[in-house]
Amino acid sequence: MKFWPLFALALLLLVAAPVSAAESIPGDADGDGLLTSTEYAGAALAYLDSAYMGGAGDLSPADIRDAAWVYTHWDGKPLEVTDSSGRTVTLYRPLHRIVTFSGESLETLRSIGFDMEKVVAVDKYSHGKETFFPECQDTANIGSIWSPDMEKVLTVQPDAVFLYATISTAVCDDIQKRLEASSPGIRVFRFDCFKPATYVGEIRTIASMTGCARRGEEFAAFYESTMDRIRDGAAGTPENERPRVYFEYWFDYTTVAANAGYNEKTELAGGVNPFATGTAEYPVVDPEAILVTDPEVVVKLVGQGLAVGGYAGHDIAALDTIRAGMLGRPGWSGISAVKDDRVHVIHSDILGGAQHFIGTAYLAKWFYPDRLAELDPHAIHQRYLTEFQGIDFDLASEGTFVYP
Amino acid sequence: MLSVPANRLICIVLLLLVVPAAATSTPVARTLSTNEPGAGEVFTVSLSIEGMALGAVVETLPTGYAFAGTDHPEDRVLVRGQQAGFAVMNDTLITYSVQAPATGSGDITGTWEDFLAGSEGAVVPSHVAVGGIETAAESTGAKSALPAAQEAAPPFAVLAAVAVLLVAAGRGGRR
Repeated sequence: MKFWPLFALALLLLVAAPVSAAESIPGDADGDGLLTSTEYAGAALAYLDSAYMGGAGDLSPADIRDAAWVYTHWDGKPLEVTDSSGRTVTLYRPLHRIVTFSGESLETLRSIGFDMEKVVAVDKYSHGKETFFPECQDTANIGSIWSPDMEKVLTVQPDAVFLYATISTAVCDDIQKRLEASSPGIRVFRFDCFKPATYVGEIRTIASMTGCARRGEEFAAFYESTMDRIRDGAAGTPENERPRVYFEYWFDYTTVAANAGYNEKTELAGGVNPFATGTAEYPVVDPEAILVTDPEVVVKLVGQGLAVGGYAGHDIAALDTIRAGMLGRPGWSGISAVKDDRVHVIHSDILGGAQHFIGTAYLAKWFYPDRLAELDPHAIHQRYLTEFQGIDFDLASEGTFVYP
Repeated sequence: MLSVPANRLICIVLLLLVVPAAATSTPVARTLSTNEPGAGEVFTVSLSIEGMALGAVVETLPTGYAFAGTDHPEDRVLVRGQQAGFAVMNDTLITYSVQAPATGSGDITGTWEDFLAGSEGAVVPSHVAVGGIETAAESTGAKSALPAAQEAAPPFAVLAAVAVLLVAAGRGGRR
């Protein structure tokens, strides 16, 4: 009775051997790791001879196309890729079949103009985002990093799998080990694609390994220019003159401490978080302590834990209700943020993940409205969706991301 | 006003004009210095290449016609019998010479392949006849040109063809 499942698994592993497993560039006749112009031309002729002219040769159409690709995009050399876990992997052929376990890396692939037809499986959360990833609705769903469908991953025969680098490391390490043990030809890459400190480098690395260098550079420049403008807001302002910001997580009276990503974005935008010193990532604060710190700006996060707005729906009234609830909290009428009408609601869709720079631009604009009068986060957001994501989404009538 | 049948006829004529144009749009076009060479004359064949950085062209000459040289770099040319293969590396023009036989006619056929785009197709055949006299000579070559139907049609032309069909159908239905 146990024979057939084992046989099926063995067969699956045999079938799952990826195309890019070979560790040499096709057409590299002398095997020195460099496909020269002469070698490439020789390979092209050898291919023509066998394919069209009745000669003998063993270069397949896939071989010569890969050789042309490597010659064009990597100057005829193997590409050494150092991912965000610090591990270096050498690629000898282009990636034809990518599996992503994170929506952030999937979104980044789309930002750099990667052919999304070559993404052969995605995580279940991305698969469920019909509005944002419409092209992935028919793509294989391989579950989540916490409950991966390993059999399906192997079935789609990937030559590369993308996993997180610095979060959920234990489960991602486990997936990586299982993949590398079952099919050594699969390249596993670890990228976060949501951290301001590493994102621009990840954009360029992924663009380089996928042959999207030109488009990747355009996106990197767009991202960097936005981040530079954000930093301009607080430039030259001493810390004691920067606005005190109470950043409230999805749950009431829960804030963010120093090691939380939202705190990093608050500080990048030039705000000072009076509660940054806690050890917990999302500490619960005493309501009285908020009154004592007298924040000049309040930012309330909505999203997964407080599910309103975002790409899923156009519901400004829901954000207004949340904001009104905060304004009515005991003692809040006396804090500066309320008196100065500087209480804002923001959706995690644009403050976490690969779109963090859009949300951070809103924060900076709220913190430094005079100095950043020219900064237009709404326009940045629309350009991102239209030009880099290529989705038909009109912010004027769809989605709700900030209020007011 | 034109009658409905007249409108239909115009649409069909337009369609017939558009579809062949779509089918002949390839990255490689061939021109000959002459289609009617003299006996033993050497004539020039030019291949204009557009939008194909790395690829190849294989040309097949009619029986009796012989490859007589090229300006293409030597290490990017392969000649075998009636066929000549050219590796394209950012080239926009390849020229080669052909020596005509004493008598004979046929088509020069060709196949192109774009390695980066992953596409392939046929170069439109060029007819040659020594002295303009048609003979029973036929093109050779084992695995030469793809059927013209496999050539990629540009999206605009396809859309235009579909639009014409729709217009024709729409007009036909409104009576």
